[in-house]
Amino acid sequence: MDSCEQTAAPSTRRTWAASKSEARSGLLFVAPYLIVFAVLLIYPLFSGIWLSLHKADLFGGSQFIGAQNYARLFRDPVFLTAVSNTLYFVLLTVPPLTLIGLGLALALNNRSRWSALLRGLFFSSSVLSVTIVTLIWRMVLIPDGGLIANLLTSIGRSPVAFLSDAHLALPAIAFTTIWWCIGLPMMLFLAALQQVPRDLYEAARLDNAGRWRMLASITLPSIRHTALVVVVIELILQFQLFGQAQIMTLGGPNNASLPMVLFIYQVGFQRWDIGYAAAASEILFGMILIAAMTQYFAARGRESR
Amino acid sequence: MIRWLLGPAVVAAALVAVTGCKPASRGPVQITLQRFFGACDAEFGSSTDVPAAEGECGIITTLINKFNADNPDIRVKVNIVYWPGYDQLSAELAAGHPPDLVTMHESVISDYSQRHLIMPLDAVLASVGVDPAGFTRAAREGVTRDGSVYALPFDTWAPLWHVNLNLMRAAGLVRDGAPVLPHSAEELLQQARQFTRATGKPYLIQSIVNDPAASARNLFTCLMQQNSDFFADPRRIRLQTPEARRVLQLFKQIRDEGLTTRDQDYTAATAAFLNGQGGVYIVGTWMIGTYEQASLQTGSPLAGGYTVVPFPQLYSGRDVTYADGHSWVIPTAKRSAQKTAAIARLLRFLRDNDFQWSRTGHLPAYQDVIDSARWRALPHRTEVARLVDTAAPLPAGVQRQFTIQQIISEEMESAITGQKPIDSALADAERRVNDLLFNLL
Repeated sequence: MDSCEQTAAPSTRRTWAASKSEARSGLLFVAPYLIVFAVLLIYPLFSGIWLSLHKADLFGGSQFIGAQNYARLFRDPVFLTAVSNTLYFVLLTVPPLTLIGLGLALALNNRSRWSALLRGLFFSSSVLSVTIVTLIWRMVLIPDGGLIANLLTSIGRSPVAFLSDAHLALPAIAFTTIWWCIGLPMMLFLAALQQVPRDLYEAARLDNAGRWRMLASITLPSIRHTALVVVVIELILQFQLFGQAQIMTLGGPNNASLPMVLFIYQVGFQRWDIGYAAAASEILFGMILIAAMTQYFAARGRESR
Repeated sequence: MIRWLLGPAVVAAALVAVTGCKPASRGPVQITLQRFFGACDAEFGSSTDVPAAEGECGIITTLINKFNADNPDIRVKVNIVYWPGYDQLSAELAAGHPPDLVTMHESVISDYSQRHLIMPLDAVLASVGVDPAGFTRAAREGVTRDGSVYALPFDTWAPLWHVNLNLMRAAGLVRDGAPVLPHSAEELLQQARQFTRATGKPYLIQSIVNDPAASARNLFTCLMQQNSDFFADPRRIRLQTPEARRVLQLFKQIRDEGLTTRDQDYTAATAAFLNGQGGVYIVGTWMIGTYEQASLQTGSPLAGGYTVVPFPQLYSGRDVTYADGHSWVIPTAKRSAQKTAAIARLLRFLRDNDFQWSRTGHLPAYQDVIDSARWRALPHRTEVARLVDTAAPLPAGVQRQFTIQQIISEEMESAITGQKPIDSALADAERRVNDLLFNLL
């Protein structure tokens, strides 16, 4: 026992020293990222939380008021409208982006020249800036000389004011967003589909499995992790709707298309009420965190079962 | 070998010493000027011919080019911002790097002057002989806060009625070459119906979609005309009044009866008037030049048939129009005396060229320009000259006027289009504005 201990002790020390050295090297490797992460994400997060507890404007003069900004937000009908608009927008965009992205990826997952061309075509909208995208769609949607208005007029129908109708403004922005953003989910799904082993399909064909059977039993289970990534990425992106609403409708009519980020921008930079804007930002952060984590844990739960 | 190596090193060291010890070359003093009014470098980027320039952008661009050409010891670097540019200015001020001279609406000055973010200019203006006594009444009120002048006024502007005389004539609403205008809300409705019956077109062209201010300006004018003291306390607005209700009912009725264009934003409404789609377009002084040019072109729906008048008095209180103005402010920052003197010279130059700027359509900010024969000889200036007496801003103590206009315009739009009852819209507008003002630091 003693001899054992005597021989084991130096060996354990060496192992411990080696692992300590490895940890130090590892830490050195990740240090640049950790520093940037802490300075640009962690610090602003806590700084924002602290700011949200103050009555403050852009030019200082802050005063600690506890949770009053949060209480004020929950009494503010415009903020509550912005929250419900944001949730509605996420519902309008995330499922279609995921399903259409998957559909396009399945359709274009082959080596033909046409598929390559169409993949490039569908992805091309993603490289445009929000200004260009919204200008294009404004020209399609406006009732005075817009593309849809002209088509409707040519068949004797009245033009529809998509961007000034309280019921149509947000769906119009959602449609624009889907057109703009569809490239990323399609590419992610395509990458995942190309990782699925070919021999699984060959085996399935030998077993006389049909296309639907292969889709349900091989393809979809194989790309479930990518599907989760797509949903989480799109949730995070679409909760942060800003440019499209700012340029196309300015949040109107009657705040019907006002998203939370535009509300935060208006309150913070136009009214200088930066403490109030920080409180709204923290609520948005919490909502994105809950939505992304719920999706993540639900998917993990299903997997473990 | 050592000498061979040392030789060039000594020469290089000597060069460094000579250039390093030499006092820094005293080039031109650089001023950063930040403005809106758009970008038009393709057309006017190198022009110094100010009288030949047209439009806000053309005139301000050539003015700055001319100043640079005439003052080789000063270099004005222009930073053009998307209208109105206050978000960017606030960010620059918060970061401690503001520009040296900035365009600012007079209605916005209070926001910055109360936080000491812009400098009082009394001494700067006095140093170059600009006397505030020469400002028009509206301009003086617009730039003065607590007894100090905070800006060099550049113009006064107000919503005007731009009139398509060709269509008005077809509707029998032209007498002795001038448009027949309403003197009451009832007359407005009656004439609008007559116009629409005769021409099949809406009487009014309005920018109501995504327009952060147009509806609010109409409301302010109509409330002032009824002597409604809706900002008796600059920290509290009163909109749940019979006067405000009357105004919203009028504009809602105009819409409900199809007497106005619908669903148009600023761009669409501006083009609609140019294309002859309605009789009257309510928009500011800045469109006079554009529409006057169109009226000189054969084939244009406005050819030989354009005029412009101040907002008619629709209520029996007083003849008044809500007005604002463009001005130049100096953000508070540490600057050398040399740079401040250069800015003062530029301000003097801008003041001396106010006539050129007034060719945009804006009302001059200086009484001597208003009184000059050359200004009165410009098209339609006699028609709008009475604005000098009738233009009125909101009380100087009211802060966040741009946001207030946006809130009121949103709520008015929802009432006029029937998304909300008028009383709810007024109550919501009042609550939202008062919440904003109550929570100011």
